[in-house]
Amino acid sequence: MSKLLEIINLHASIGGKEILKGVNLVINEGEVHAIMGPNGAGKSTLSAVLTGNPAYEVTQGEVYLRGENLLAMAPEVRARAGVFLSFQYPVEIPGVSMTNFMRTALNAKRAYEGKEALSAKEFLALMREKKRLLELPDKLNNRSVNEGFSGGEKKKNEIFQMAMLEPCLSILDETDSGLDIDALRIVAEGVNRLKTPHNASIVITHYQRLLDYIVPDFVHVLADGRIVKTGDKTLALELEEHGYDGIA
Amino acid sequence: MHSNSKNMDTMVLHKGEVFEHVFVNEQVNLHIEQETGSKVKVVVVNVSIDPRGTRDTRNSIFIDQLGEGCETEIYAMAYLHGEERVTTETHVLHAIGGGSSNQLIKFVLDDNAQGHFIGDLKIAQDAQQTEAHQTNRNLLLSDTAEMRTQPQLEIYADDVKATHGASTGQLDESALFYMQQRGIDKQKARQLLVGAFMREVLDKIPNALIPDSLTPLLNAIDGVVE
Repeated sequence: MSKLLEIINLHASIGGKEILKGVNLVINEGEVHAIMGPNGAGKSTLSAVLTGNPAYEVTQGEVYLRGENLLAMAPEVRARAGVFLSFQYPVEIPGVSMTNFMRTALNAKRAYEGKEALSAKEFLALMREKKRLLELPDKLNNRSVNEGFSGGEKKKNEIFQMAMLEPCLSILDETDSGLDIDALRIVAEGVNRLKTPHNASIVITHYQRLLDYIVPDFVHVLADGRIVKTGDKTLALELEEHGYDGIA
Repeated sequence: MHSNSKNMDTMVLHKGEVFEHVFVNEQVNLHIEQETGSKVKVVVVNVSIDPRGTRDTRNSIFIDQLGEGCETEIYAMAYLHGEERVTTETHVLHAIGGGSSNQLIKFVLDDNAQGHFIGDLKIAQDAQQTEAHQTNRNLLLSDTAEMRTQPQLEIYADDVKATHGASTGQLDESALFYMQQRGIDKQKARQLLVGAFMREVLDKIPNALIPDSLTPLLNAIDGVVE
């Protein structure tokens, strides 16, 4: 089992306000880590910092992806190296079709890996296959990215993109928020089917519900910018019952 | 009616006639009088990607709907770099009712480029049941580009449907980051967003009327995904 991600004493702030205050975390290939915690604990900040969101400033600490300095990479390079974020609020991009968007993204990743670009035919076949996984309609191809999608469609579309790009590290930021039970099941099954012994996931969630479907190997409690407790999946149940006050 | 239109040749569209035209990188000087049931569709495109460009272009479009049930569509897009300047003025008069006009005017301004839109829309007292829409959207790609917008609406009839809107903004940072998070570099992400912004106007050009001079621009927009 080799080390995929290593976060060492990570501090980060936004607008001069410190949100992350020394996060330490090691993720190995094949593992699913859940990060839970109260609102404002820094869960979304952690995902933003790992993906290079320019709104946040890293003030201290180091992050390594397979031994490479992640924080030195531009956001698009991190993505090509296999870091994927399923956004809590997927962005609508009017006028840019899903097909053009996905094809540009996938071919950028393939170029980074030294692979040839997919032909239009190969690409469309791959889209078709991955759409089935998420039970997404065919008409998706010509629609603008996320424009006019329902909440459930947006989250399915995130996991669809994850299926297309086959990242080594997926960060699911509140993927369960706004999903009804059927959409939740489809999204969770999609995530589970994409699991391999060589990739890993960070599942950020406020509620235990998602973890009934995506079973974590580890559960971490993030409170006030630090991981204050780590356990197995039973910790999530404990939190559900007693709340965060009993932990932090 | 329009004092500064007197030096233009006036074209009269007779009953039911149709005028469709695409202007690319021209200085447009157009005055059309529309008679009953006639249709006008004009698309105006000004593109300069030369960072040393210094042209100053003025597009003037005067439309007088003088008969019932006329349709007018005006679509304009300017994509400018360097010191280029484009002024686009539209003067649409609905003198008689039952007609419609639809205007979509867009500017994309980089470097020190300047855009100016004057949109003069008048619905006379006799022009009941007119439907008129005017939209101006602008994208500033640099801190030194400049846009001025002057919509002027005069509505004297009471049974009309009229809308207008104007906005000037920058590229959506959250959309740029979303694309970068999928592995698309920032430059390409910008191209995709600018292309999408312009496409809304370019898509109004009927296929049969796409001039050769536009092919490089259309390819550049499409090319970013090839």
